[in-house]
Amino acid sequence: MTLDWSIIWLNKQELAEGALMTIVLTVLTMGLAVPLGIVLAFMRLSKWRSLAFLSLCFVELFRNIPLILIVYWSFYVIPILIPVQFSAFTTGLVALVLCVSAYNAETFRAGINSVRQGQTNAGLALGMSQLQVMKEIILPQAARRVLPILATTWVSLFKDTSLVSVIAVGELSHVALQIRSQSFRVLEMLTAMAVIYWIMGYPQAKLSDWVRKKFEVKE
Amino acid sequence: MSQVLRHAPSLHPVVAWFWLEARVPDFDISPILDSWQFLATGIGVTILLSALSMAASLLFGTVLGVARGYGPRAMQMSITFYVDTMRSIPVLVVIVWIYFAVPILIGINFPPFWSALIAITIHITASVVEIVRAGVESIREGQCRAGLALGMSWPQVIIKIVLPQAAIRMLPAIGSVLSVTIKDTAIASVIAVPEFMKRAETVASQSYQPMEVFTFAIFVYFLLLFPTTRAVDFIYRRLAHLGRS
Repeated sequence: MTLDWSIIWLNKQELAEGALMTIVLTVLTMGLAVPLGIVLAFMRLSKWRSLAFLSLCFVELFRNIPLILIVYWSFYVIPILIPVQFSAFTTGLVALVLCVSAYNAETFRAGINSVRQGQTNAGLALGMSQLQVMKEIILPQAARRVLPILATTWVSLFKDTSLVSVIAVGELSHVALQIRSQSFRVLEMLTAMAVIYWIMGYPQAKLSDWVRKKFEVKE
Repeated sequence: MSQVLRHAPSLHPVVAWFWLEARVPDFDISPILDSWQFLATGIGVTILLSALSMAASLLFGTVLGVARGYGPRAMQMSITFYVDTMRSIPVLVVIVWIYFAVPILIGINFPPFWSALIAITIHITASVVEIVRAGVESIREGQCRAGLALGMSWPQVIIKIVLPQAAIRMLPAIGSVLSVTIKDTAIASVIAVPEFMKRAETVASQSYQPMEVFTFAIFVYFLLLFPTTRAVDFIYRRLAHLGRS
């Protein structure tokens, strides 16, 4: 067994671009999935049963199927259903957003529900409107509880972006697997891929722990 | 286009465009019916792989979780390092590494199923360790002291007092890990484990009807995952009172 680690240095440009793509995908997905998750959460909590049911169906569907299947489904089925040709990047982004917004919706709903009923009652008793109660009392408290879970979701999203490699989006794992199959330096490339993920992911995991400690709510 | 718009003036142009351009294709399920045995055995492999990796993860996770809670300092730190490493590396990377790189290192080739089992177990064990640790820490210290005062040894205290109570408190979290495990087995399709995802892909590409096959796959995974998570929640609600102290 002879190992040739120079292959990593030779391909540093591609790997760096792949890592950048992973970060771009993570940021864009979270940027889209947070507003969508908020909309879904408010739909779920709304008075109109049909809206709530629609949101429930969406959330339960996408939480209960593997992301890789959503990726394949978006890649093969969306072009059949809609007469628009998306790039692989957009398709991967759509799949990630669908999945993560379902998780976020559940997070926001749980966050809003976790604020005790007595707080709403107190606000209403003070003469505030429903909207004011939501804006001034519930949401600020819910935000504190939601943030640690969002941080955890962020870390798993960062890892899950690797799955869009199956539809050839040029993020880190796709790039690394591609170089591996061209150069046959299997062990070196796969180890490099794992190490690069580790270098990027480890601080994020630690940061999410810190956020969890910092924002821990004790009642 | 313009003719239709004149006939349907109430439609917004975008809606009208979709109305005209979006194809509503026929839904032909014959490829699924033709290869139902091929797909059904795939579901079997998915369930087997999930069950085995979940069982192994629970076993190793409990041992490591207890060691993380009560073990010597160096051991605690190395387990924490392992857990955080697994939290920062995608399961795809672990699966691919175990399948392609390990044979180069040790010179033994594993079949894809065993590689996937090992990789998913390594990945899921880390989550179980964290859950067990949190569960063990949630049991009040007085209980351990009471056990020790009664003359029990540390292993006895952990096995007879701490773990039974912690196990019930851990149930909801274990339920979501089970769901993650089943979803992770789908990623094993990238190393051609003959589980349901891989089988569905094969049928989709051979029949040129990806829409039917992948939509069917969504139904199958949903029917597999939704009842599982609900069942764990149900069991927890029945047992929750046993975990209070």
